[in-house]
Amino acid sequence: MAAETGIRHAPQPALMRVIGLNKTYVQRRPFSRKEFVLGACKDVTLELPRRRVTALVGESGSGKSSLATCLALLQQPDSGEIWFEEDQVSAWTAEQLASLRPKIQMVFQDSAGALNPRFSAAQIIEEPLEIQRRASKPELRLRALALMEEVGLSADCSKRLPLTLSGGQRQRLAIARAIALKPELLILDESLSSLDLVIQSEILRLLVDLQSRHNLTYLLISHDLSLVGEIADFVAVMHAGRIVEHGPREKVFGAPRHGCTRELLAFARSLESDFQAATEVQA
Amino acid sequence: MRFLARRLLHAGFLLAAVSVLCFLFTDLAPGSFFDGMKLNPQISPETVAALKAQYGVGKPLPLRYVLWVKSVFTGEWGFSFAYDSPVRELLLPRARNTLLLTGTATALAWLIAVPLGVWMAYRPGRWDDRLGMGATSLLLSVPELALVLALLCFAVRTHAFPVGGMTSANDEQLGLLARCQDLLTHMAIPAITLVLANLPLLVRHVRSSMIEVLDAPFIHAARGHGMAPARVLIGYALPAAANPLISLFGFSLGGLLGGSLLVEAVTGWPGLGPLLLEATMSRDLYIVVGAVMVSTFFMVGGNLIADALLIAFDPRVRTD
Amino acid sequence: MPGPWKIRTALGVLLLLHLAILFAGFVAPYAPASQNRGLPFVPPMRLHFRDAQGHLRLRPSVCQPELNAGTFYEYSELCTTEYPVQFFVSGPEYKIAAVLSSHTHLFGVEIPAHIFLLGSDNYGRDLFSRILYGGQISLAAGLLATAISLSLGTLLGAVSGFYGKWIDESFMRFAELFVVLPWLYFLLAVRAFLPLNINPMRAFFLVVAVIGTIGWARPARLVRGIVLSAKTRKYVLASRGFGASDGYILRRHVLPHTYGVLLTQAALLVPQYVIAEVTLSFFGLGLSEPLPSWGNLLAALQQYNVLVSYWWMFAPALALVVFSFGYLLVADELQQRLQSASL
Repeated sequence: MAAETGIRHAPQPALMRVIGLNKTYVQRRPFSRKEFVLGACKDVTLELPRRRVTALVGESGSGKSSLATCLALLQQPDSGEIWFEEDQVSAWTAEQLASLRPKIQMVFQDSAGALNPRFSAAQIIEEPLEIQRRASKPELRLRALALMEEVGLSADCSKRLPLTLSGGQRQRLAIARAIALKPELLILDESLSSLDLVIQSEILRLLVDLQSRHNLTYLLISHDLSLVGEIADFVAVMHAGRIVEHGPREKVFGAPRHGCTRELLAFARSLESDFQAATEVQA
Repeated sequence: MRFLARRLLHAGFLLAAVSVLCFLFTDLAPGSFFDGMKLNPQISPETVAALKAQYGVGKPLPLRYVLWVKSVFTGEWGFSFAYDSPVRELLLPRARNTLLLTGTATALAWLIAVPLGVWMAYRPGRWDDRLGMGATSLLLSVPELALVLALLCFAVRTHAFPVGGMTSANDEQLGLLARCQDLLTHMAIPAITLVLANLPLLVRHVRSSMIEVLDAPFIHAARGHGMAPARVLIGYALPAAANPLISLFGFSLGGLLGGSLLVEAVTGWPGLGPLLLEATMSRDLYIVVGAVMVSTFFMVGGNLIADALLIAFDPRVRTD
Repeated sequence: MPGPWKIRTALGVLLLLHLAILFAGFVAPYAPASQNRGLPFVPPMRLHFRDAQGHLRLRPSVCQPELNAGTFYEYSELCTTEYPVQFFVSGPEYKIAAVLSSHTHLFGVEIPAHIFLLGSDNYGRDLFSRILYGGQISLAAGLLATAISLSLGTLLGAVSGFYGKWIDESFMRFAELFVVLPWLYFLLAVRAFLPLNINPMRAFFLVVAVIGTIGWARPARLVRGIVLSAKTRKYVLASRGFGASDGYILRRHVLPHTYGVLLTQAALLVPQYVIAEVTLSFFGLGLSEPLPSWGNLLAALQQYNVLVSYWWMFAPALALVVFSFGYLLVADELQQRLQSASL
C-alpha cells in the first residue's frame, strides 16, 4: 500500500479505482461434470472521481449489477484490484473490510425486495445505525426521523410498513437507509428504473441535493440515457462484461467511439424525436 | 433410464446408512447385551460359541456389523437368540402375513378414497363435501389404538367376527374355500381398522389435488365445450392430478410393512409387528435389526416405484 | 359451524382440557394411586338432580354402589343415603407445581362415600382422577418431544440452509435417512436397546428424548426451505452491506419467516407425539405403573373381560380423541392462514 512505503502521493482525484476486475459465475449441478460459465465482468478498469457522479450504462445483462456488487464489497471478484482512497481493499481481510463498509453503501433497484416487509419504515432506517452501534436506543428513533425528514418523508410514515408506501416513498426510504451511516460513495443500481417519470425527476433532485450536502460520490447505474444525461459528470459504457467507452459526459455523448454507445444514443434520440413529433401533432 | 439408475444407487446407500444407524444403537445399551444371552438356559454353550464365531458376538461393533452384512448375503440375515434360528426363516412368513393384511387394506382404502375424493372435489362447499370433511377430520383424530380396541369390543360382543389370530384352530380340516372364508373373517377386523385409519388422509389428498386441477383453465375449456362431467373428471382431471397421487401411492406402498404394527399386536394377527414387539421385549438384536431393515426396504422401494411411475406418466419429469 | 366460531370453540375446549390437566390436583377428587379394593370396576355414577320426593335440585347427589350378591363385578345403586356433591372440599393433599401443597379439590363427597364420575378400575381407583393425572404425563411427553423436534429441526435446518454447499448436501442426505425410517419400528428398536426396567422418571425423559429426536427431519426440511429463499432477499444483502453478522441476519431477517410454519408444525406434532407415547406405554415399553399415563390406562383393555364388559375403561381414548381433534382443527386453521398470508 502506498502508505506503507512511506511515499505520500498527492491525494488522488478518484475515490475508488478498479483495475482489471474479473467476475465469472459458475453453475454446476451436484455430482455432475457439466459446468455453465457466465462471464459477468471481464477486465474492467474504471475510476470514480471524488464528489462526482459517474454513470454506468449498458443494456441488460452487460454485467453492471455484478460490477456494482463487487464495488459495494458484497461480492469477491475473481481477480483484479479495487482501490479505495489509497488502500488496495481487494486484498483486505474480512475484519479490515468491516471498517470500510459504512463508507460504501448501495441503493437497490427493487425497493420492495430490498426492504424487509415486516419492518416499519423507522426500523428500516434504524437498522444500519443499530448494527454499527452509532446511537443509543433512544437516540435511534430520533436519528431515523431526522433522516426521514432529510429525504422528504413525512414523520407519520415512520410506523408504516414499506409495502403500504408508494414506489417513490419506498425509494426515498431506501436512500435514507443508505445515507444513515454517512457514506462517502453511494452506488445506485437502477434505483430509478421502476419509478414513473414525475417521481424519477423528484428523486433525481433529491439525489443532487444530498450530494452537495454530504459531499457524496455517486455511481449511477442505469440503462436510461436521458436520465443519465441529466446529472452525470462522467459516463462509462459497458457491453458484454467489458467497459467499451469511458469519459466525461460531453465527450461520450457528443463523440461516441463504440458502436454500442452509438446505438444507445440513437435509440434515446429516436425516442425523443418520436415524443417531440407526437407532441407537435397534438399541438 | 440414467435417472433411475442413479436413484437405485441412492436407495442402496440409504439402506446401508440405515443399517449402520440401527447397529449404532446397540452400543447405546448400558451393560453388556450379550451377557444376558449367555445366562439364558435355552441357548446351549455350543450355540453361544458358534454365534461368537459367526457373528462376532461380544466383539467390537465394526466387526459385528461386517459379519452381519455377510450373513445378509448368505441368506441368514442374522440369528435369533430367543427362537434359536436364523432370522430369515422367522421374518419371511411373518412379513408375508403382514403384506396379506396391509395389501388388502391399502387396496380397499384406495378404491374407496379415489372416487370419494373426486366426488367431494367436484362439489366443494356443498353439504356432502362438508360432511365428508367433518367425518375425515373426526376419523383422523381417533388414534389407531382406540379404533382397533373399539372394533375388537364390537366384534366380541356381537360375535360377528372371530377375534385373534389368522386362522381358526381346526384349520387343517377345512377345504380350500372354507379356508379362504376363514382367513377373510379373521382378517376383517384388522383390515377394517387399517382402512379406517388410512382413509381420511387419502381422501383429503385426493380431494385437494382434484380441486387444484379442476380450477385449471383447460378443465373449464373442456366443460365449456359441453363435455359430459364424468368424462371431464375421469378423462382429463384425474390424469392431471396424477403426480401428487403417484407420490402418495409410492408412500402407501412404502408403508405396507411398517404401518400395521399396532393393529397386528392388538388383534393377534401373526405379522411382523408382534414379532418385533417380542424381540424388543427380549432384546433379540438381530430380529429387531432385520425387521427395521425389511420395512425400510419397502419404504425406499415404494419411493423408487413412485419415481419410476412418475417418469413413465409425466413427460415433464424426464427432462430433469 | 362457520368460520371463526369453529376455531374459537376448538381453542376454548382445548384450553379447558389443558387447564384441567394442568390443575389435575385441584380438579380430581382423588390421588391417582388411592385404591379402594372393595369397589373394583364400578360403573360411572349417575348424578341425581331429583331428591327422594322427586323435586328438582340444583346440587346433584350420588348414590353408593352396592355389590350384587353372588356376582363378581355387578353393582346396583343403593339410594337409601344420598350424598350431595360438594364443591371446594377438603381432600387428599396434592402439590401445585411441585412446590405448594393444598387440600382443596374442586368437588367431592363426604367420606365414606365415593364419587366415581367415570367409574373405577380393577383396584377401585377413580378413573376420572387417573385420566387427569395421566393426561399430565402424556401431554407433557407430547409437548416436550415437540419442543425437542422443533428445536433440533430449526437449528439444523437453519444452519444447513444458511451456509449451504457441502453442509447443506450432507444435511439433506442425513435428513432423508430419518424421513425414510418407519418411525414406530425404529422407536421400538431404540427402546429395545435401553434397559427395560428403569426408574420411571428416567424412563419418561428417555422416551421423550427418543420420540423427539426421531421426528426432527420434517420440520428441519421446512425450515431449510424457508431459510434458503429468505437469504437471497435483497434486504439480507443490504444488511451485509451494513456490516451485520450472520447471527444478526438470521435472528432479525431470516428466522422470523419460520414462525408461522413452526407453529403449524407444533399443532401437528403434539398430538402425534402424545399418541406415540400412548402407544409405547400401552405395550409396557413407555411409562409403567404406578405413574399413570393414558397409554397404560388403556392397557387394561388388553384383557378380554375388561374390553367387553367395562366400557368406561375406554374413557382415556375419548380424551385422546377430543385432544387430537382440537389440535387438528387448530392446525388446519393455521395452515390456511399461512397459505393465504404467503399469496
